[in-house]
Amino acid sequence: MSTTLARRHTTDSVGARRRRAGNARTGWLFALPTAVFVVFLFLVPLVLVFQMAGSDWPLLGGNQGWNFPDNFPKAIDNRFFLDSVVFTLKYTAIATVLLIGLGLGLALLVQESSRWKGFLRTAFLIPSALGLASASLLFYVLYSPIAGPFADLTKALGFTFLGTPDAALWSTVFLIVWRFAGFYMLLMLVGLQGIPEDVYEAARIDGASRWQIFRDITVPLLKPTLALTTVMCVTGSLLAFEQFYILTKGGPDNSTITVVQLIYNVAFQGQNNLGVAGALSVIVLAALIVINIVQIRAFSKKAED
Amino acid sequence: MPITRNEPATVTSTMPDVRGHGRGREAKPTNFFGIVIRTPFWIFTAALAVIFLYPLVWTAVRSVSPLAGTNQTEGWGLGNYITLAGYQDGILQYIGNSLFVSLLTVLLTLVISLFGGYAFARFQFRGKNALFLATIAILMVPYATLLIPLYVLLNLVGLSNSLVGVALVLTMFQLPFSTFMMRIAFESIPKELDEAAMVDGCNAWTVLWKVLVPAVKPGLITVGLFAFLAAWNDFMAPLILINDSSKMTLPLAVSNLRGQVQGVVDYGATEAGVVVLALPCILLFLILQRHYVRGFMSGAFKG
Amino acid sequence: MRSTHTRRMQRIGGVLAASALLVGLAACSSGGGSSTPLASAGPEGVDEGSELTLWTRAPLEKQAKLLVEAYNASHENQVKLTVVPNDDYVAKVGAAAGSDSLPDLFAADIVYVPNWVEQGLFQDLTANIDQLSFKDEINPGHLAAGTSDNKEHVLPFVLDLSMLFWNKELYKEAGLDPEVGPTTLAEFAQDAKAVQALNKPDTYGTATGLNCGGCLVFTWFPSVWADGEQVMNEDGTESLLAEDGAKEVYSTWADLWKSGAVLPSSKDEAGPTWTAGFTEGKVGVMPYPATLLSSTPFDVGVSGIPGPKGGDSTFVGGDGIGVSKDSKKAAQSWNFLSWLMSEDAQVGVLAKNSDVVSRADFAENEYSSKDPRLVTINEVAAKGDTPFSLNFQEAFNSPTSPWLTLVRNAVLEGTDTVDADDDAITDVLSQ
Repeated sequence: MSTTLARRHTTDSVGARRRRAGNARTGWLFALPTAVFVVFLFLVPLVLVFQMAGSDWPLLGGNQGWNFPDNFPKAIDNRFFLDSVVFTLKYTAIATVLLIGLGLGLALLVQESSRWKGFLRTAFLIPSALGLASASLLFYVLYSPIAGPFADLTKALGFTFLGTPDAALWSTVFLIVWRFAGFYMLLMLVGLQGIPEDVYEAARIDGASRWQIFRDITVPLLKPTLALTTVMCVTGSLLAFEQFYILTKGGPDNSTITVVQLIYNVAFQGQNNLGVAGALSVIVLAALIVINIVQIRAFSKKAED
Repeated sequence: MPITRNEPATVTSTMPDVRGHGRGREAKPTNFFGIVIRTPFWIFTAALAVIFLYPLVWTAVRSVSPLAGTNQTEGWGLGNYITLAGYQDGILQYIGNSLFVSLLTVLLTLVISLFGGYAFARFQFRGKNALFLATIAILMVPYATLLIPLYVLLNLVGLSNSLVGVALVLTMFQLPFSTFMMRIAFESIPKELDEAAMVDGCNAWTVLWKVLVPAVKPGLITVGLFAFLAAWNDFMAPLILINDSSKMTLPLAVSNLRGQVQGVVDYGATEAGVVVLALPCILLFLILQRHYVRGFMSGAFKG
Repeated sequence: MRSTHTRRMQRIGGVLAASALLVGLAACSSGGGSSTPLASAGPEGVDEGSELTLWTRAPLEKQAKLLVEAYNASHENQVKLTVVPNDDYVAKVGAAAGSDSLPDLFAADIVYVPNWVEQGLFQDLTANIDQLSFKDEINPGHLAAGTSDNKEHVLPFVLDLSMLFWNKELYKEAGLDPEVGPTTLAEFAQDAKAVQALNKPDTYGTATGLNCGGCLVFTWFPSVWADGEQVMNEDGTESLLAEDGAKEVYSTWADLWKSGAVLPSSKDEAGPTWTAGFTEGKVGVMPYPATLLSSTPFDVGVSGIPGPKGGDSTFVGGDGIGVSKDSKKAAQSWNFLSWLMSEDAQVGVLAKNSDVVSRADFAENEYSSKDPRLVTINEVAAKGDTPFSLNFQEAFNSPTSPWLTLVRNAVLEGTDTVDADDDAITDVLSQ
């Protein structure tokens, strides 16, 4: 876009300037539907979230007026705040490493085209056609100690999928990997496809080993894709909710409460305090913006190296 | 990485038909040694495929197999689907509602992101970057918190308890992905294409319809499929925004059905519900898979 | 690249700051009142063909449906019923309350009623309720829960009592008398162990929901009451769940758990399936919701829930119902409520469906005389209790409640932390 601007400047004339002004108007016209949706369905509600964060606002009683900044210390003092932050970070780290790693691994596994690999690609991708809620519902039955296919096995081993904190975490991670690995594989495949053939050719002629090619060519050239997928995966995992809401409800023993689950609980399942829930949302939003800026900077710095 | 085979993982390309078939790379050693060496690969990948497909197949099978505490206690049959069909206003009503919401969401998403993507890719205007970033920022706000203000807001404009309101909200949540996708799809088309059309006397509007839309079709299909899958499966938005049981969508009905009689989850009906929820998505996905993948390839995510 | 990015972020910040000025525009409107004078509606209310909306939660769907069908068949007014999943009910009511769009009538878990009344979700029905000649016969626990500042807001919709249920078939097999239930907590434990000792595959002595605060409140509080102890102080601001009687309950269950007589899935049971084991005939004896009597497919014995030293009691749960603050058809809504209290509804619908009636004067009716268990249930109902606290949901029912922590520590972990955990409950109650 900077290049087009530069090109325009060199041929600047009255006509061109007028055309650009018309251009801007046409551009706005095309962007208008987006703007309407973003402003009325996102920014205005977001402002309301900010207002909630600064107000005494019980869920059932309605807005009782400003009390800024009372909700913020209350949010941080919540007895699950620290636990939920730690758990969310832990879950995000696990989910991101697994999804990016598996996505790349699966992509490398199936990138050539053959009938068998086409089938594999489809098999890995099909779960991503399911909604997260249906997938969670499906695993709810699958993990059930009453109706699940492993009910007898788990009974014999004295183990349940959602019974201990670790089991619940890993069972949920499995659901997420099952649901999303194919999608990340697809993004990786697209990235891999963008790497020119001759680079590999040259490396092979130089006698590079498979591992060297992977480390020195595939990974560096895949960096933009890796950056995008990591940002997506981290953001998505930090906001994880539905899978825990349906599968664990934060249990057992409050060990799987994510930050968004905490927001939901504060708003709807206990305190019923939209003010504190709003404050938590604002904190999460700020944290996400910071985390994403840090990630984008880290990736672009590495790309410069 | 268990690519235990004589070919290194070097061949790029060849998602279905995108670049043709990568230079005869498929020639496989067919001698005995080759088969032996490839066996672990076959077993390994087959096991992976089983892991990915098993939950779906198991659910489908269980939905027609007998289980105590369901409507299908003896022998195989469609008892669970009969429970599902007769639930409250009848499953057809809910499928109809879901279809309405999903199709409207798809339509809105396509129109908005087509125009938006075009604007972001081809025009310079004040506030462009701010608008784009605001659109992407939708991803960063917890869904649950935004729904209460949205509920208040839709009420103000008389769209509470309406499927149109649900579709509007779902469209908004689709915008980050679809706008990003369409912007990149447009950007990957050479500018010379529209400039040539401009010379032929087209204006921005006709360029879009006659020249660019055909070129971004794969992107549109991807965006549309994504919007459909998200809208068809969404649970939270209709839960908060819809009051009448005759206006419930399918995921809500299935979830309600699960806890119908206190304390006894009807696992059979839940499985049948998951199948009814998943089947259209999987079929649609299989039919559109080729285009869907191509949409991603059409410039997007190449970095 | 970096600088453009910061600039973008700054610009976003600008947009946000600018729209913050719009807050006043989007702030929600308040107030709204009924257009029909409720007080002058008379004892019967108005029946002139209005459409009324009614929300209830999924566990009471069966009763609510029967009631609404019967009402619609005999009245000009027509009630439209919406059933909401149990776990999402508070979210839905909250969203609607915030935007003044509650339905005309809505039911609420009776333990939430004090809080919801306090928040002003229900209209004052004092004048109408006082006109009812049978007011003193209406279940006092439910009425009290809906009373704030001597103003009554809520009537009982469906009563759900916790009773001890036992599977007569399993009792016979275990050599127990199927006609006589346990009369103390210790006997209950003995019976459970006796059924467990049958060593039948997939069959357990007892079951509960050890990860379900609501289930535990519903099934364990009566044992405390049976001894004459209380679970909270009168204002519901202090927890008394570390007294001897309560500790006896925990240790009884801890012992049952250790001996393996409790259905193993009880450990993680968060509520949805906590009664399933018994319904499927796999559990010998357990405290169980009386609303499920009609849908239990085999022969069961029923008694009140015994305490450590004998006696029995029950948790008078279920839902209360009232006219919402947003209803514009209050007089018509009252017509439904007054019908709900009538013999047609109480006996003709609820008792017919083996449900508990909300009026003491109907405790013995044509249906209960055919099933002595219904008489037992109705009798125990009079001894039962409904706990009262404004913060009940957060302290007990929430999946993150301190009550769950207390129970899980005491029963599953066997730690000696009851007193400290009890203080944590008081902390929440006294907020």
